[in-house]
Amino acid sequence: MSSNKIRWSSWLPLVPALALLAGILLVPLGKTFVRSVSNPDLTLANYEHLFTDGVTMTVLGRTALTAATVTIAALLLGYPYAYLMTRVSARTRGILLVVVLIPFWTSVMARNFAWIIILQDGGPVQSAFEAVGIDDVVLYGTTAGVTIAMTQVMLPFMVLPLFSTLGAIDRKLLLAARGLGSSPTAAFWKVFWPLSRGGVMAGVMLVFTLSLGFYVTPALLGSPQQSLVAQLLAQRTTLLLDFAAAGALGMVVLVITLVLVVWANRVGGTVSAIGVVATSQPKDR
Amino acid sequence: MVSRSRTALAGATFAVATLLLASCGSADDGSASGTGGPEKLTFVSYGGSGQDAQIKAFQEPYTAAHPNITFANSSPADVAQVKAQVQAGVVQWDVMSVAPAAAKQNCGTLFEKLSVPKLDPKDFTPQAIGECYVGNWSNATIFGYNAAKYPEGPKTLKDFFDTGKFPGKRGVITNLQNGILEFPLLADGVAPDKIYPLDVDRALRKWDTIRKDTLFAANVGALQQAASADQVDMFLLPDSRMISLLNDKKNVKMVWDTTVVTLNALAVPLGSKHKAAAEDFLQSLVQPEPAAKIAEALAVVPINLNAKPNLSENGKLLEVNGPVNTGKSVIQDIDWYSQNFDAVTTKLGNWLVG
Repeated sequence: MSSNKIRWSSWLPLVPALALLAGILLVPLGKTFVRSVSNPDLTLANYEHLFTDGVTMTVLGRTALTAATVTIAALLLGYPYAYLMTRVSARTRGILLVVVLIPFWTSVMARNFAWIIILQDGGPVQSAFEAVGIDDVVLYGTTAGVTIAMTQVMLPFMVLPLFSTLGAIDRKLLLAARGLGSSPTAAFWKVFWPLSRGGVMAGVMLVFTLSLGFYVTPALLGSPQQSLVAQLLAQRTTLLLDFAAAGALGMVVLVITLVLVVWANRVGGTVSAIGVVATSQPKDR
Repeated sequence: MVSRSRTALAGATFAVATLLLASCGSADDGSASGTGGPEKLTFVSYGGSGQDAQIKAFQEPYTAAHPNITFANSSPADVAQVKAQVQAGVVQWDVMSVAPAAAKQNCGTLFEKLSVPKLDPKDFTPQAIGECYVGNWSNATIFGYNAAKYPEGPKTLKDFFDTGKFPGKRGVITNLQNGILEFPLLADGVAPDKIYPLDVDRALRKWDTIRKDTLFAANVGALQQAASADQVDMFLLPDSRMISLLNDKKNVKMVWDTTVVTLNALAVPLGSKHKAAAEDFLQSLVQPEPAAKIAEALAVVPINLNAKPNLSENGKLLEVNGPVNTGKSVIQDIDWYSQNFDAVTTKLGNWLVG
């Protein structure tokens, strides 16, 4: 009896959050799914069409490839950065954090238009390449330009979970490895890297899944040939008013993302890849 | 050390949460509806200088004459929003900008059939008054070029597609309303009066020939920006944006071969709570005076044949029905587009992203 009471009261604080989730996520999602399979009779035509129209699969593949490129670039840039953040004074760490967060305090439009100016014909990037003798580098309207701008936006999502994980690694283990005769490189790969894997997976998952949904940056910086899946969704929603087909496409993207999350949780081993951001604790030894 | 890294961790966790929220963005719908007595019409257009001009030329004079009618302005005018509002049974918009083909295609299903007895079609350009829409103005999409780049400028639409004779970057808007399908066909030798029904495949094959030299801009703003930043040397840009380039003293010249003219319309979403007031407002704004006013403000083509806009010098350089136009015009066929909109949109969209 009494344990029941305790259980109920401990659930109580969750009610607003659960109600919000149900109201703004589950109900619309359910409606979207129902609409995508009804015509109004039960049909899978919308899903079949995704595989047979010759465009959706191309764009999905392109989206995955772009997201993967952005993720790798963010990891290569973010890992050393996050490592540095764990090794400096609190004041410097604060500065490093602000630097990585600045893109987020800038409006999306301002940021993207800034990239247009930087990347366009006659812009500073082109001039820089010309200064070293490489002419006609125009990144505006190319996949490379889109990838660079997306990486900038995604960097904090990589740096922050990495920072929280790397900061929690007990550095005495590295000393121990060195003391037992390991080279610095070997100590990193055998001790430090495996311990940081949870943070790497968390960052990778965050960046990859968020990159799958990019809309404004490729729309402004790319040409239509660099369209990602969000632009296809927009076309089906706003131009064709085909909510059912758009819903089907959205469902496919959602399923792909969920599969990836499950996979990441497995690969991440005992550390929950997504949970690490909130749960990882510094070792108190 | 421990407590400091805990604080840092908490900070990082909080920052991630904030980022996630920030990246979700926010949508603002400034909707409002009046109840009884005074009425507030929600007017939805494309924002920017165009909507500012609509406020000045259409709304303010109307409110001055009918003090009980006021306006709430919102943007963008997205037909998908109308569909969502109609499906949900909560229609919040009363007057909105729309492509007439879309209004015709969805007449009676997403848009109200209109009763506008005060308007006589004889006073207007062809197709300007439809069953479910009232014309707003017409846009001419004009072939312009950077005169600094080509002292001996291009003379015909053929030259637009001839990168051998005129090397340089081209720009076009991917919106069907800006002639993306008409211009290649005209350049390919299709007679202006024989252009409908459009041969979409042929148009896209023509684009294939200069695809790598062309910027396919997703909207008018993107192409205007590209033209003003010298990212494109030849461009197919509507009059209302071309005037901004001219007003900014950009060295742009026009090629008057064949120009594509498109009606831009206003419609009433199905289930609007202020239909009668909206209809009266629509009838007022196509009268000669407001029609002239909007043409002066935006360098667009008035749909009322009795409108006598007092155009600026730059406005006269873009006047598709004026003496400056030594070529021809094609008026976009609303009937054809309303019947073929989905198929053509899909075909063009697939070609673009492919």
